[in-house]
Amino acid sequence: MDYDVLVIGSGIGGMESSIKLGDMGYKVLLVEKEASVGGRMILLSKVFPTLDCASCISGPKMSSTINHPNITTKTYSEVSGIRRDATGTFHATVTEKPTFVDWAACTGCSDCQTACTVAVPDQFNSDLVARRAAYIAFPQAVPKKAVLEREGTSPCIGACPAGIKAHGYVSLVRNGKDEEAFQLVLDATPLVGTLGRACYAPCESECTRTKLEGPVPIRLIKRFAADQHYTAQGATPSGPAIEVAPPNGRSVVVVGSGPAGLTAAWQLARKGYAVTIVEKRAQPGGYLRHAIPAYRLPHDVVDADIANLTSIGVTIRCNEPVTDLAALKERDGFDAVIVATGTQDATAMNVPNEHVAGSVNGLDFLDDVANGKAPDLTGKKVVVVGGGNVAMDAARVCLRLGAAEAKVVYRRTRAEMPAHHVEADDAEAEGAVFEFLVAPIEVIADGGRVAGLRLQTMRLGEPDTSGRRSPEPVPGAQTSVACDMVISTIGMSPDATLYEQVAGAGRGGRIKVDPRTLQTDVPYLFAAGDVTTGATDITTAIGAGRRAAHMVDRWLNGQELTGFSALDGRLDVVGADQVLRRQTAYGHRNPVKGAVDLVPRPRDFHEIEAPLTPAEARSGAGSCLDCGVCSECQECVHACPADAIRMDQREKVSQVTVGAVVVSTGYKLFAADAKPEYGWGRYPNVITGMQMDRLLAPTRPYNTVLRPGDGKVPERIAYISCTGSRDQQVGNPLCSKVCCMYSIKQNQLIMGALPLADVTMHYMDMRAAGKRYDEFYEQAKDMGAQYIRGRVSGVTEKENGDLVLRYEDTEGTGRIVEAEYDLVVLAVGIQPNRDVERLFGDERLGLDEFFYVAEPSDELDPGVTDIPGVFVAGTASGAKDIVDSIVHAGAAVAQVAAHLERSKVASTAEVLA
Amino acid sequence: MSENPTAPGLPGDDEPGRRRIGVYICHCGGNISDYVDVARVRAAIADDPDVMVAETTLFACADGQQHTMVHDIQNQHLDGLVVASCSPKLHTTTFRGVSRRADLNPYAYTQVNIREQDSWAHTDDHEGATERAIALVKAGIAKTRLSTPLSPLRVETVPATMVVGGGVTGLRTAIGLADIGLSVIVVEREAELGGWLGRLGPTFPHDTPGRDQIAGLVAQIAQRPTITVLTDAELVGKTGSFGNYTAKVHVRGETTDELRQFQVGTFVIATGADVYSPEVGELGYGIDGVVTLHEFGTLVDEATGGALTWHGRRVRSIAYVYCVGNRQAEGNAYCSKFCCAATVHASIKVSKVDPSIRQFHLHRDVRAYGRYELLYTESRERGSVYLRYPDDAPPAIEQSADGRLAVTLVDALTGPDELTIPVDLVVLVTGMVPRQNEALTSLLKLPTGDDGFYNEIHPKLRPVETVVDGVMIAGACQGPKPANEAVSGGLAAVTQSAGILKRGFAELDPLVATVNEAACTGCGECLTTCPYDAISAYPCDTGQKALVSAANCKGCGGCVPVCPEDAIDLLGYTSAQMLAAIDGLADREPVA
Repeated sequence: MDYDVLVIGSGIGGMESSIKLGDMGYKVLLVEKEASVGGRMILLSKVFPTLDCASCISGPKMSSTINHPNITTKTYSEVSGIRRDATGTFHATVTEKPTFVDWAACTGCSDCQTACTVAVPDQFNSDLVARRAAYIAFPQAVPKKAVLEREGTSPCIGACPAGIKAHGYVSLVRNGKDEEAFQLVLDATPLVGTLGRACYAPCESECTRTKLEGPVPIRLIKRFAADQHYTAQGATPSGPAIEVAPPNGRSVVVVGSGPAGLTAAWQLARKGYAVTIVEKRAQPGGYLRHAIPAYRLPHDVVDADIANLTSIGVTIRCNEPVTDLAALKERDGFDAVIVATGTQDATAMNVPNEHVAGSVNGLDFLDDVANGKAPDLTGKKVVVVGGGNVAMDAARVCLRLGAAEAKVVYRRTRAEMPAHHVEADDAEAEGAVFEFLVAPIEVIADGGRVAGLRLQTMRLGEPDTSGRRSPEPVPGAQTSVACDMVISTIGMSPDATLYEQVAGAGRGGRIKVDPRTLQTDVPYLFAAGDVTTGATDITTAIGAGRRAAHMVDRWLNGQELTGFSALDGRLDVVGADQVLRRQTAYGHRNPVKGAVDLVPRPRDFHEIEAPLTPAEARSGAGSCLDCGVCSECQECVHACPADAIRMDQREKVSQVTVGAVVVSTGYKLFAADAKPEYGWGRYPNVITGMQMDRLLAPTRPYNTVLRPGDGKVPERIAYISCTGSRDQQVGNPLCSKVCCMYSIKQNQLIMGALPLADVTMHYMDMRAAGKRYDEFYEQAKDMGAQYIRGRVSGVTEKENGDLVLRYEDTEGTGRIVEAEYDLVVLAVGIQPNRDVERLFGDERLGLDEFFYVAEPSDELDPGVTDIPGVFVAGTASGAKDIVDSIVHAGAAVAQVAAHLERSKVASTAEVLA
Repeated sequence: MSENPTAPGLPGDDEPGRRRIGVYICHCGGNISDYVDVARVRAAIADDPDVMVAETTLFACADGQQHTMVHDIQNQHLDGLVVASCSPKLHTTTFRGVSRRADLNPYAYTQVNIREQDSWAHTDDHEGATERAIALVKAGIAKTRLSTPLSPLRVETVPATMVVGGGVTGLRTAIGLADIGLSVIVVEREAELGGWLGRLGPTFPHDTPGRDQIAGLVAQIAQRPTITVLTDAELVGKTGSFGNYTAKVHVRGETTDELRQFQVGTFVIATGADVYSPEVGELGYGIDGVVTLHEFGTLVDEATGGALTWHGRRVRSIAYVYCVGNRQAEGNAYCSKFCCAATVHASIKVSKVDPSIRQFHLHRDVRAYGRYELLYTESRERGSVYLRYPDDAPPAIEQSADGRLAVTLVDALTGPDELTIPVDLVVLVTGMVPRQNEALTSLLKLPTGDDGFYNEIHPKLRPVETVVDGVMIAGACQGPKPANEAVSGGLAAVTQSAGILKRGFAELDPLVATVNEAACTGCGECLTTCPYDAISAYPCDTGQKALVSAANCKGCGGCVPVCPEDAIDLLGYTSAQMLAAIDGLADREPVA
């Protein structure tokens, strides 16, 4: 047996049970779901009727619990699947939830909390204020250790094929940390400015805010951060924030300088490798420079991004086509080679006259334009064949070169067009025209030049393997279009000549690699980007570049080719529903969009999209819903002096065997919005009793009692008792027992804190039943609190935030009275914590009709449940105040001890027999 | 022992007599710092050459701060600890634990109370409170400066408990103790076990007859050979020390009485309470047809034939007058907690006997707390009418001409006009009063509250312990409560006893009197002063000398001032320490 007793829940009942069991010499495992022991009592201001400070009397209990030699405490952990075997031993599963902090190293300094950029409602302050996603539960937490709250991977991060922490940099910009945002992207890739413009932002499509007003402008926020950086620091170094390891004496060569190659080079250079990029063209950048037109991605932005690389020592050798990969290792001495040559070959239309003058492929066309060899198309009619992004780029470039008409012909319909919808829309706005369901069958030549294009009319047939409906010719239907130029953009593929002899080429000429490791059959040879996949997009190539760099590093260090945490083994993506359910209230946010300078027939190549203003960037970032809670911005990682943050920590599941179980899972507070007539959740100045306790506590959020709506110090305060108790309407006919007394306590404390305030309590029966409780009630009356009998029928809010209570003055005039108050406190009651139902496996723990843990013989056997060996302590079995809970826990412990002694006798008897 | 390892030193860091004391001044959230300028207190003592660490802290008792103290003690090699926060009643064990974890002798720690004895008492005078805090902390430092390492006294404990009282609490407690392996002696004053509950029929909330509950417990006790039951018996003597007491029990026999002696480790006092007995004339008590709740209970339980009768007459209407003898401005101020639910339950039983009986409940608040609310609802559904009377205007009960009873009250809902209800029976809902047990109370030196019930150490956190070591209280002797809550208390006392006795030994504070033999003249003055019989005389060459039994001494210090030769000192509170502390209070240099 691992432990004598498993105690579940560390509120006052659980702590008392554990300490007393420990004192008797039993070994106890105490499991608590929050990060700190202490339950609710530690969050209270003072306790009735002694007015002891709750911290002062429960803090030491917490300390005794955690320091007790016979108690093992697991906080931030949960119990499930409790099962009793034939011998009466219990088996339970204990799941230690990941805190993402190495608690052995954490000193509780709270630097992570200060650095964290995400604010969420602070459940330990009853949501009155915010806490950070990296947090220590509360100032008196035991153990005082930090937790990173991560509900999962934020959808934007989950959607990014480059594994860039979109939520992170959005959160940083929201906090005014623009340079940190830049550095966070830079940590993944040097191409920050490029992505800020030319990325198709799959993150935005997944953004949960899309379900409300529209997505967070994630891409433009990244561009904002990049622009801020480059403006301030020039198109060079990344600054000292980027860590570069000292040279490790080894070298890697990257063939090709597109996004995959540049990224791989960047990552390896930062790890201390001497990295050389060889590029066959005159300038680096691949399609970033040679295909994407400058009005979308200015060349100086690409230059600035590439300067990040050269600034940390990456060598880029241009005009250097590679023909022999093996020689790079054998002859030139590189330790590893990464092939990142992309998709250089344009797919041919395979129609007659394809190569006559005026018929070109899109890649060559865009390359010429990018390199100052643009043809003059003034007054010309151009037909662009294809429906991808290259087609859109080509058409829009033609218009800029003066073309009279730029017609895009595509064999399916607009719905199937692979171009990004924004690209298509923008092309149309600039004057491109589309003709759908036509396929080229012949370039019409006249005198060796293009005169037109003959087209076959198509229709959509059955969906193909990609899910798109395949076009099929309509027999006999042909048309033709007259034009001066035909640009073919129907596809591209890798040029396999470089590697087919060395590593082998697969489908479409792609280099053969293991997709997880990007290693080829030749161990030192890796590949990344479109050369391994066929044409994708920039982010996918960047992701591949990161992966290749990671794997090359592992391989060169003799390590297993795993552990690529940027994309592999991430936490599950948080669902939008989950996020939206979590929010209690939404502020409406007008979506922030970048201004795009779209005019018909533009004539130059200036960048058409305007940057966000700082205000737009903050506001746009401010609309982030923090889906994963933690944004992965890495600020805590940088801030932690103990280096204790572990983003790759995962839950730890273990099995324990115990001789007995104590269920001390406590209660839930009544959710006051289930009494809509009292306005909680809608009227900011209607709060719950627990919220008032927080306002009065020594660790109170505002350091004084004020009303949350406008910060006014309240002078007229009303209490409404029995909120959610003694109320069939909300399904709780029980009295919660504690609310009268905690209200009276608060009445006294308020009169102490705000001597000028009038306190009135509307009650049904004053249930001050307990030792010195009635005397405590009389004391409150003597201090001046008013007590009015009768149930309040409703609360309405005035424009100034004051509240009007409507009630029948039953014991006075008998009339309906409307009374005004500054602040209304709802004395919310206690409800069962139904989490208890999830604790047990096959054998269900018996509950009473109100879903509290049943004590079948509560008259003489308190604490005993219907499962032998399972006991209940505290409010898990019904409403109790603190002293009741302590006494009840004491009783439960006596029952546990009797059970364990009986078991001991039984097993000894067995041995003797 | 009177020798000090370190004499009060002169200034100078390298002085071998220097102490290394850590001083921690607590904000207590704001309980202290709202009234005392803790930063000034710190500044006032930080320069003391014996003070190595002087810090203020939000909560000295918080775990994080405890870790800091342990760290400081170890890293700064502290040999003394002063915590200026709340009452030593609250946290002495907390900070002794800190000392122990840091390998500092726990008796080198001094608790300075700047909350109960300062900030809370002087909320209107921040300046004065701050000055007072400075003086108190200086006194604490002065006392700590002269502290010597002490070791706790270890005593063997006896695995047996004496339970005083054989009602439901005592009986259930006895079974609980036996079930975890302790021997039990139950001492019951009456001839029969069972107490109040043993005389009751169906009780709330489950209608189990009290008699049956008691019978079941008695049967269980019979099966447990480790339980000895003594009826007609009273605890008359208690000697010995913590964990090992000799209890003397006087047992009345049929012919002769017997004085029996038992060795026990702990006591659980479960002597219960009495019911309030109204004065004749109080709310009509004495008039035919005016009965107490207890008398009424018997009447209802004995009702047969579908009718309730009183002196042969059929009862068709009843008025219950609540809060008799309770919640009184003059008299018993407390609420008896059980009576509302008991009365509500009685009215349900009545309606089961004869649903046609009209029942009027004249109450001040129906305190049917928790699940008892369900009984209250059922009672109303069965036709009971609840009327609330003002706190200051109790109903008047008179006999009317027809021999029936007239109850006149101001109903809060329909007032201020008076309302008279004619009824056949009036039930005075009487609560509990403390039992008259002066002999036991003074024998055990049990503290009672101003309500007359026994007091626990801390009503919130330590509800079954008393300030008397090894003596627990449970059930109604500590305050009115329903039987099931009394049972819980009894079992909690079982747990508390077991915590002490299961280890087989206990550690006692060594803060006891010690005699300087050389100075003692054997005059014997101290022997008669000691209230705990802890001092004895032993013969020696020069006559006799005083000897203190450390296990029996409570460290009250009563013997110290009576010694004409100043030969007695109290460890942990030596005369030298107290004088130094007084000097500290007066902010003077200590007198060497």
